[in-house]
Amino acid sequence: MKLATIGVGNAGSKLIDRMLEFEQETGRDLCRHVLVINTARTDLAKPDHVPEDRRVLIGDTHQKAKGHGVGGDGEVGAEVAKNDIDEIRRVFDDVEIHEVDAILVAAGLGGGTGSGAGPVVIDELQKMYDEPVYGLGVLPGEYEGGRPALNAARSLQSFVTKVDNFIAFDNDAWRSRGQTVEEGYEEMNRELATRIVTLLAAGEVDDSDVGENAMDSSDIMRTLDTGGVSSIGYASTDLDKPEGLLSKYKKKEDDEINSMDAAKIKGLVRRAVNSRLTIPCEVSSADRALIIFAGPSSMISRKGIESAREWLEQEADTVEVLAGDDPREDSDTLAAVVLLSNVTETPRIKEIQNQAVDAQNKIKELDAVREEEIASLITDDDNELDPIV
Amino acid sequence: MKLALFGVGNAGTRIVDQLLDAESRTDRPLTDGNVLAFNTTPSAFADTSHIDDERQVVIGDIHPDVSRPEDLADESGEDRREGVAGDPELGVEVARDDLPEIRRALDLVDDTEVDAAMIVAGLGGGTGCGLGAVLLEELASIYELPIYVLGVLPTSEESDRRAWTAARAVRTFVPLADAVFPIDTESWLASAESDDYDELNRAIATRLVSLFGAGERETAAISELRMDPNDLKRTLDVGGLATIGYAETELEEVSEGWYRRLRRLLGLDVPEREPQTDAVSIKNLVQRAADSKLTLQCDIETADRVLLVLSGPPKELSRKGFETGRYLLEDKTGTVEILAGDEPLPEGSRITATILLSNVTGVPRIETLQRRAVEFQREQDDLSASDPDDLSAATTLSTSDTQRSAGNQSTGDDQSAGDEQPPSDDHGFDFQEAELVDQSEADSEGESTSSEDETEEEPTPADGDTADDDTAATESESTGDGSAAENEPQKQ
Ligand SMILES: Nc1nc2c(ncn2[C@@H]2O[C@H](COP(=O)(O)OP(=O)(O)OP(=O)(O)O)[C@@H](O)[C@H]2O)c(=O)[nH]1
Ligand SMILES: Nc1nc2c(ncn2[C@@H]2O[C@H](COP(=O)(O)OP(=O)(O)OP(=O)(O)O)[C@@H](O)[C@H]2O)c(=O)[nH]1
Repeated sequence: MKLATIGVGNAGSKLIDRMLEFEQETGRDLCRHVLVINTARTDLAKPDHVPEDRRVLIGDTHQKAKGHGVGGDGEVGAEVAKNDIDEIRRVFDDVEIHEVDAILVAAGLGGGTGSGAGPVVIDELQKMYDEPVYGLGVLPGEYEGGRPALNAARSLQSFVTKVDNFIAFDNDAWRSRGQTVEEGYEEMNRELATRIVTLLAAGEVDDSDVGENAMDSSDIMRTLDTGGVSSIGYASTDLDKPEGLLSKYKKKEDDEINSMDAAKIKGLVRRAVNSRLTIPCEVSSADRALIIFAGPSSMISRKGIESAREWLEQEADTVEVLAGDDPREDSDTLAAVVLLSNVTETPRIKEIQNQAVDAQNKIKELDAVREEEIASLITDDDNELDPIV
Repeated sequence: MKLALFGVGNAGTRIVDQLLDAESRTDRPLTDGNVLAFNTTPSAFADTSHIDDERQVVIGDIHPDVSRPEDLADESGEDRREGVAGDPELGVEVARDDLPEIRRALDLVDDTEVDAAMIVAGLGGGTGCGLGAVLLEELASIYELPIYVLGVLPTSEESDRRAWTAARAVRTFVPLADAVFPIDTESWLASAESDDYDELNRAIATRLVSLFGAGERETAAISELRMDPNDLKRTLDVGGLATIGYAETELEEVSEGWYRRLRRLLGLDVPEREPQTDAVSIKNLVQRAADSKLTLQCDIETADRVLLVLSGPPKELSRKGFETGRYLLEDKTGTVEILAGDEPLPEGSRITATILLSNVTGVPRIETLQRRAVEFQREQDDLSASDPDDLSAATTLSTSDTQRSAGNQSTGDDQSAGDEQPPSDDHGFDFQEAELVDQSEADSEGESTSSEDETEEEPTPADGDTADDDTAATESESTGDGSAAENEPQKQ
């Protein structure tokens, strides 16, 4: 697939940057257009792989933003993006849309810019183009607290109704101990980039001959066609590990023998589905599913693909399962990536919504009494002291 | 966040001087030189070391009621009261008279370079309260910036008049400013080794610079969760009183051991040093900051919004500790409006946690202050009611710091006649006025406090949906494509 990718806010921009890094490292060519949009000037300096002229600061003339972010407030994020919509549209104009199959918008839903400006950007894209627009959204962890949960719960509604499919990433599921604030997201972002690029880059190997089982962009798009929230599973295996240093020599001759048997291929897919999904979900609640094997085509037997597909059909309890390969002849790993499209049983989303409702109630309570409390605090009981000016 | 700082009176001037000192010591360019100090007492400028002469502005020096140093040559100690000598109304008057002077000085500050302005003053001082109030009005009318006030509260050992002045200052400043940071001198001086202000002023400066200066260091690494100026602004947006908590952990200075040195000499990889902290110690640090002596002691459960900044070497800042620390704050304060950020200081030798609590309302100190002020005002009223002409009676009771001014009021009556306030024979300390303000007028005054925050809870950012509807939009509509089910199974 060929993508136009747009990162909104800090998390969204970092994710796009990691996707670019991963595709460069693995010789893929997925992201044909890149753009990052932020309300904070400092955050725009973070990406390593996004060209300077593809970084857009919005809201720098907005009284509440002024290039310093939106203070985690989704409403301000949305307002700022709406105000600068002309500017955003102008940068989109550069995107030669006939070159791409779809547009991907990445954002952290807990932040003000991601949650607020994200949906505004998507609205605009949907208006301008016929191509599907997908969302890649990071959901905040429970420990981030009520405000991010509220941003995310509200923004999720906007995202899901506006995009053609929403691929979710749950920060909670990927939280790990022993990391610093600095490196914490790094690893997660890499993991997510690996999954999303491996999935979407399938069907984009120009020069090599297209294998018989090769997955096509239209298959991926068809699977995503369900709308709703989707989750991705991933597993990979090193191909030359057991043989050690000599593997490079041996590989060529032994290709036939080395080709993994069906059981191993199926095992890899089972591992992908049972591993940490981008958002934990009930696999059987998926509407459609898709498996892509990325690696040397000689490694992937047709029989293996078929048995993996049948297994997933059972697991996901749907007959809409596609499976195919993405030939990467030079790769020394074989990866299986599984897309579970429109999963409806995702406990984290329920939790975030509950946390958000609590948060919103607390905020309303405070708003209701705020002015009164300040006035009574600064005034003595009988209001005998008067202001000096 | 870049701040323009305005020190008013002796306390304000000294604290701003300390702030500038902390700014240069910690290498966080907070003000970029946008600083002014206003005083009615030129001599107070003598002990400052970081404020340029042209930025030290003397106000009211030609006003007949203002005592000049030469008038006081014979006085000493408590009696030696220069300037407006503790009289806030005189402070207001001289500031109004000298507004052109004040405006001229304001030209030295570039408000387009800063994110907010902050007035620093002793609220119990005649200058701090009076000139401070006029300056606040002025800044509010010319700047499109949030304006904060850092105001020192008097201790119980200080005169009742100071308490009365401070209580009125609180009443005046809070509605006019975007947020007020009162400094609870009482609880700070009680535990200080000496009772001079240095230690307190340093503590104030440390807290303010850690909070407002976070991320301003030019060489700082880009942080993962940077505090933007708008994060601070949003936290303080609710108005009212704000307070700061602070805690730090010193890191051990580890000298390089033979093993590492050898590896380095041999050009081998030097293993990463183990961090000295972990999730638990970071969480504990946040806990300590929340439990620390706040700049204004209060019931933290009454806080409206909270902001947490963790500063230190990035490898010491455990993310889990950071997150649990933030969660702990949500638990302790009962608010969900908590923003948290980090400030990576790779060369730092300590980790600090700074917590801003905004719009705290459970503040016993303010209530005590008001009670004392009301009592003082009633006494004054009784005195002037029973014996309106006996000036000396009033001044005797109102402790020593008024005596100087009383003795100096030869021309005072004519002056106050020109004031908008009803003329008084009490040298501008007009307590009867208090009663002139009737309840309804004062109430509407109180309501005008609310001017700030009228933004209503809007529905979902980009469209009209509301979020309190907790049925999962995703679930209900995601299955939308009904035709999918009817499609033939796709066989590969
Ligand atoms: N997975 C992941 N999540 C991140 C990353 N950075 C931030 N987040 C999450 O994203 C949310 C914050 O969103 P950001 O993108 O940082 O904020 P923003 O959208 O730029 O908005 P403001 O900073 O409020 O203006 C929080 O829920 C974070 O946990 C990241 O690099 N990776
Ligand atoms: N924290 C702190 N408080 C101070 C300092 N100097 C004075 N104060 C307090 O601030 C209040 C006002 O005192 P000043 O600043 O001296 O008074 P002023 O505003 O200059 O006005 P005058 O009454 O005219 O002298 C008093 O309650 C003092 O206790 C200081 O350096 N630090």
